[in-house]
Amino acid sequence: MLSEERRVEESALTQPASGRLANPDVRDEFGLETLDMNMGPQHPAMHGLLRLILELDGETVVRCDPVMGYLHRCQEKIAENRMYPAVIPLTDRLDYFANMHNEHGYVLAVEDVLGVEVPPRAEYIRVLMCELMRLASHIPSVGFLMLELGAFTPILYSFRERERIQSIFEAVTGARMMFHYIRIGGVKADLPEDIPQKIWDYVETLEANFQRDFVDLIQGNEIFISRTRGVGKMTQEKALEMGVTGPALRCTGVDFDIRRDYPYSIYPELEFDVITDTAGDVEASYRVRIAECLQSIRLIKQCLEKMPEGEVLGDTGRRIRPAEGEGFGRVESPRGEYAVHVVSDGTDTPYRVHYRDPSFCNMQLLQEVVPGHYLPDIMPIMGLVDPVSGGWDK
Amino acid sequence: MQTVLNLLEMEPIRFFISFGAILFLVLNLAAILTMAERKTAGYIQLRYGPNRVGPRGLLQPAADVFKLFTKENVSPGRADLWIFLGAPIAMFIPAAAVWMVIPFAPNAVVANLNIGILFFVAVTSIGALGVIMAGYGSHSTFSLLGALRGAAQMISYEVPLILSLLGVIMLTGSLSFVDVVNSQGPNFWGWYFLPQLPMALTFYIAGLAEVKRVPFDLPEGESEIVGGFMVEYSGMTWALIQASEFASMGLMASINVTLFFGGWQPPLEFLDLGNFNWIWFGLKTALIMFTFQWIRWSVPRLRMDQLMDLGWKILVPITLVWLFVTAGAMLVF
Repeated sequence: MLSEERRVEESALTQPASGRLANPDVRDEFGLETLDMNMGPQHPAMHGLLRLILELDGETVVRCDPVMGYLHRCQEKIAENRMYPAVIPLTDRLDYFANMHNEHGYVLAVEDVLGVEVPPRAEYIRVLMCELMRLASHIPSVGFLMLELGAFTPILYSFRERERIQSIFEAVTGARMMFHYIRIGGVKADLPEDIPQKIWDYVETLEANFQRDFVDLIQGNEIFISRTRGVGKMTQEKALEMGVTGPALRCTGVDFDIRRDYPYSIYPELEFDVITDTAGDVEASYRVRIAECLQSIRLIKQCLEKMPEGEVLGDTGRRIRPAEGEGFGRVESPRGEYAVHVVSDGTDTPYRVHYRDPSFCNMQLLQEVVPGHYLPDIMPIMGLVDPVSGGWDK
Repeated sequence: MQTVLNLLEMEPIRFFISFGAILFLVLNLAAILTMAERKTAGYIQLRYGPNRVGPRGLLQPAADVFKLFTKENVSPGRADLWIFLGAPIAMFIPAAAVWMVIPFAPNAVVANLNIGILFFVAVTSIGALGVIMAGYGSHSTFSLLGALRGAAQMISYEVPLILSLLGVIMLTGSLSFVDVVNSQGPNFWGWYFLPQLPMALTFYIAGLAEVKRVPFDLPEGESEIVGGFMVEYSGMTWALIQASEFASMGLMASINVTLFFGGWQPPLEFLDLGNFNWIWFGLKTALIMFTFQWIRWSVPRLRMDQLMDLGWKILVPITLVWLFVTAGAMLVF
């Protein structure tokens, strides 16, 4: 089976290009041949282990085929053989830039099928952690975008912020990336005593320095504008057609956010704006991400102000064994709609777990948007889509 | 003693000694510049840069060179070995050779060519050949793309580079670097960057493009074509490419200083240091090189079409217009 696939793939690479041109009119005027190029999976600037099979006409991309599967870990199958709480650490390994959202989505699905009550303080802590996670994902993704454009410095500024957020996570959950913090029925433990103040101080400093560190250096830069404006442009119809969600959808002007449109947890009680932009190009996605960071800071402050006292872990019984049925949970991860579908057959292991990961769904854009652009534009478009390897390969 | 000195001043011997000195200078400059580059990057990027080897990390270049010497020199299986191995040499020699016509101090120039500027223009453009050789010889699509970009970029930026020299040549009436420096005088208001400001800026930008520095590092383009023409090199061949890049960066800075910022001339007359005026030359060159590094760690990279637009639609017209302005001014005054 494997060898069969490989043969198909190899023949796709060795066949003359003319047979499989996406648009035969792009070339042949001078009878010139196109150049086949493999970008990745071992490419220093590629997001994770993605391989793009490119067909180049000079430096213009004629065809772009993403090949996924280099990080496939059978997450969904493993989940079928584990007890419900034991799947949570697996979800951490999905989209490793949005671990909290992965846990949250799965836990929401299990709580849906189980019908368990979550204490309000736990809900607030969940939202607080998820919004911190969104900051820790959006800020580096802006840095990655700049790295892909050839500027090395912003990535280090953004990783400084991620580092600080990670130390907050470490104090709260005990781990820097693989948290296993959000549990079925609540969260693992209450916040340490001094942490709310620390988070407050941190977001205050971040807000104060945000303009200086992530906007002034980048937004007005002539080269940045010329490299990103109009690059990766897509229409609303196209984006909706492809099932794109998250900042990549909102930057086209579609006003869609799971947090507001399909509210979960305590988001209805909090105030925040859904950021949209009209341009639908890389620059717009940058602006959306930057503005969403400020909204996340706003949400974090509200969470800290309104946080009630009380228990953080509801009563789920000693053994989690939901009745037969289905549960569904969807959250707005930094990359878009992350949804989990859990089917229970009455035992203590799920019958089926399915993750709808935004990295995977947004990846479809590449095939549509990249052809026609120059080779150096691929990387900014990857910055627009901002996929994470662990997300698309599960 | 006197006979030895006389012997040293005899032409072939003097030339070889000076050539050795230049080679020493260039290779050490490359090492020092890598260090400076990493330290500058460190301070711009909220970190320290290398600080482990030796006092304050100052021996880091030595460690780097030792590592590169002991590394295996891997070449791709289908590479054209003669071209592949010849490319670093073809890149390094032009970068080192032009240093011979630069006046470091009064009477301190290896070869006072009366066509020094022409020599500089001719020899630096050979560097493009090395890039093409590297890209063609390594038999890799990434290298090939990088080499094509490099060739296109270096050849198109030759045009504004040469045009921006013409103003200085007209004002001096000579193609010799020594004459250019002497005519600028020991006060900064006499230097050519004031009357030739658009030319100086064009030369600076075109020079950046010519030595393939950010924001014009498309032939390397490490985020798209992972190092471009040098992607297949390792060990000493890679080190030689790096050395030639840094040598040509230093070269471009020093030519910039020589043509527009008075060469070894002191900024004010009473600061004249006589034979030690090379200190001024070094300071000014270091300042220009620092701005190169500053730019490198601050801005993103241009795209190929934008690069060509900048070169042909902006820089060339600017130089042409200022050429006419200079000529008119010379006619009138």
